[in-house]
Amino acid sequence: MVIKMIQVNGKEFPWEEGLTVAELLKRKRYSYPKIIVKINGTLVEPEEYASTAVRDGDDVKAIHLLAGG
Amino acid sequence: MSIENKQSARRLLKEYAYSLGMIDKGYANRTLYIDLSGNTILEKPVTQEMKDKFTGGKGFGLKYLWDAVTPATKWNDPENEIVIANGPLCGITQYPGSGKSLVVTISPLTNMPVDSNVGGYFGPFLKFSGFDALELQGKADKDVIVFIDGNKGIVRIEEAPVDAADSHVLAEQLTEMFADSEEDKRNISVVSAGSAAEHAYIGLLNFSFYDVRRKAARLKQAGRGGIGTVFRDKKIKALVVKFVGVKGNLNHPADQGTVNRTGIKLHKEIHDLDDKQNRMRKIGTANIIEIMDEYDLLPTHNYKFGRHKDTYKINSYVFQDMVTQGMADGCWFGCSMSCAKAADNFLLKSGPYKGQKVVVDGPEYENAAALGSNIGVFDPQVVMELNFYCDTYALDTISFGTMTAFIMECYENGILNKERTGGLELNFGNAEAALELIHQISRGEGFGKIAGKGVRRMKEYFVKEYGADPAFLNDIGMEQKGLEFSEYMPKESLAQQGGYGLTNKGPQHDEAWLIFMDMVNNQIPTFEDKAEALHYFPMFRTWFGLNGLCKLPWNDITPAGNKYTSEPAKIPEHVQNYVDIFSAVTGKIIDKEELIRQSERVYNFQRLFNIRMGYGKRVHDKIPYRAMGPVTVEEYESRQERYDKQLQELLGYDPVGKSTEEKMKVMRAYREDQYEKLTDAVYKRRGWTPNGVPTLEKLKDLGMDLPEVVKVVENNL
Amino acid sequence: MKVLGKKPELCIQCHACESTCSNTWFKTDDAEKSCIRIKSSKEDAAKAEITVCTQCGECIDICPVQALTRDKSGVVRIDKKNCVGCFMCVGFCPELAMFMHEDYIEPFKCVACGQCAKNCPTDAIFIVQE
Repeated sequence: MVIKMIQVNGKEFPWEEGLTVAELLKRKRYSYPKIIVKINGTLVEPEEYASTAVRDGDDVKAIHLLAGG
Repeated sequence: MSIENKQSARRLLKEYAYSLGMIDKGYANRTLYIDLSGNTILEKPVTQEMKDKFTGGKGFGLKYLWDAVTPATKWNDPENEIVIANGPLCGITQYPGSGKSLVVTISPLTNMPVDSNVGGYFGPFLKFSGFDALELQGKADKDVIVFIDGNKGIVRIEEAPVDAADSHVLAEQLTEMFADSEEDKRNISVVSAGSAAEHAYIGLLNFSFYDVRRKAARLKQAGRGGIGTVFRDKKIKALVVKFVGVKGNLNHPADQGTVNRTGIKLHKEIHDLDDKQNRMRKIGTANIIEIMDEYDLLPTHNYKFGRHKDTYKINSYVFQDMVTQGMADGCWFGCSMSCAKAADNFLLKSGPYKGQKVVVDGPEYENAAALGSNIGVFDPQVVMELNFYCDTYALDTISFGTMTAFIMECYENGILNKERTGGLELNFGNAEAALELIHQISRGEGFGKIAGKGVRRMKEYFVKEYGADPAFLNDIGMEQKGLEFSEYMPKESLAQQGGYGLTNKGPQHDEAWLIFMDMVNNQIPTFEDKAEALHYFPMFRTWFGLNGLCKLPWNDITPAGNKYTSEPAKIPEHVQNYVDIFSAVTGKIIDKEELIRQSERVYNFQRLFNIRMGYGKRVHDKIPYRAMGPVTVEEYESRQERYDKQLQELLGYDPVGKSTEEKMKVMRAYREDQYEKLTDAVYKRRGWTPNGVPTLEKLKDLGMDLPEVVKVVENNL
Repeated sequence: MKVLGKKPELCIQCHACESTCSNTWFKTDDAEKSCIRIKSSKEDAAKAEITVCTQCGECIDICPVQALTRDKSGVVRIDKKNCVGCFMCVGFCPELAMFMHEDYIEPFKCVACGQCAKNCPTDAIFIVQE
């Protein structure tokens, strides 16, 4: 079986059918509250994370806005 | 003795009267100089050139310190100074985070300038009293206090009227003594150290602000670099400033309306968004404890690991339940970010104040990591107790935590043992031993005497006295330039290794925190990208210190529309706020490019100050390998999957069948080489030679080609 | 508790209240210096929105110097002598009814003096004693 891949912050991550933004953030353990998510350059609002599908080959950016104490 | 009796027992050594002035567009245009050796007090004018080149705050402090010392000056020489400066925006009450003091001195840890940014009311009151900076030089014969009455125009040097040495007592007593009534207490600010600063090199200064709701003198710390140690060496017990009549226009800004509107805009943003973002108003900087753990960045067991199964016991919600809620916890008026949290009625279980109920100022994130996970302690009561004692004894929590973590690793490796520590079983997680260690440091006794000198001197001592392997100690001792690392794991972020290593005062994250941009977001993949970030962010963040500002309101809250901007990491709207309030206060119209240049002038000056003192070059910017990668087999194997994958992907090295030692060696060579390449790129971007010396062209471009500075460059090319 | 009550549906947007308020407290006719503000609803310009303090007191806990207190009649008052002009109360007011004008270094708000109500032609605003 060939594992299908998406890009998450420029690095490969395995994709599977039904993957949503919410699920992806969970798998990446991206729990920080100030994250900006873009799929192929389009912004996804937090209230849409659960309903937005990530498709095979998508380029996902999950930009954490933290620049420290 | 009652406070009244103590007051009558005050003995005057020198009194100096000055005429009250008017602050003009953010500047008092005058500074105060005190020589404690001869009890000399004078005023110095602030020139336009000083303002143009150094802006204020840390810039003024470094300029005065440069003029005061020679390349041969040591921290405990009388000519060393402590300079406390405010900055042109300091004391405005409308924009959050505008009450900071910047303190500089020649550090006992690093033998070169250190700077520390601290809240509390002293800086603003100093300015309202008529001074942009206070220089303290010389040494008193016996303990003294310096009192500034900003309404009467009087400066007094007095014999210290109280015996107490520790800050939580001193600040209360002196506030009581100098205030006419309960209502008057908010007009007093006290700067003090503590008993440990008389023995340890990691002594800090506490700056007080009176909390009208708790009816207590609260403390904020100028923590880094041992400034409290210098303070006590000069036999200064405390500085007290009194100023009655704070209003919102004392800086006489050129454009009050813009200052007001910009401040209200941020207040509203914090009101609307803080609960959904960083919860700064609820728990302050401690909000990131569990986040750091989740991303494998929380220093654990002397930075071996970035995560621990017990972190939940010291997470932000645990501390949120311990600190009192609903208070106006700003360390200066108008700070709606209100991160200066406190636990009331905290019962102490050890030490000289055992059984007493006290106010604990904290915990901040750094304290929880330094006094918790990094030393393997996951008991919030102990973290709070260590936090309290660090503050009142005047020990930098960061240095204390990092050096205790180092000691614990040495103990577990047999470099130390019970005989050598005088019975302290300093294994990771031994809270009782950590508490006993802090009490020993405060008394200057036993092993505490050695420990309080910091990691660098302990390394030398352990090699000399116990025959420890210097290479191992240099790998695991988390200090650079003599200063202990602050509490983030930089191993997996090359940019943050630079953020710690390629700094002026040493490995403190106040210059740059790039871990998420680099490691998680992968936004700065190339050396040039990282170098750009290691130019922009340190310069941008230096600017807070030139102006008497706090960094937190810049990015611990972000505007709703920030995600739509082209450079969200910079928080462009907030950068513009700073441009606007600087222009509005000083009347000097700047843009965001000039803001960076203001910082570059002082940053390059500080770099050359380091070089003048014999440091500040490439060799001094190297960092211990613990900051870069796995030193021990245990560390490598705990993250084996990650490291094996990196060897394969980044180096094309097949880890199959290789021993951990072999893989570690390859990994190390790679990572050390990466750091060198990063150093090259950053120096180039900053306009420095490959050896880390700012070039004459750079200085000329910035207008910083002052004769004494040029001389240092010429001597070091 | 004394508070200025409002029935926006009766308001005809004559702005007499703003004029009365600014004249009463600042001796000038300037809506920007009024403690009550009238504006048209975004959805329907004929509908008025009245912004005025409800005396909820949320600002009291925000003030760093306790310059905001509730008096015996329940009205939240600003002690100008103690106020340091930080305007946190302006940013944190849930009703947006605490105001700043750059001619003054302290904020200002409705103290339910009732002058505006006397001059309201439609009784859209009125003093309530609870």
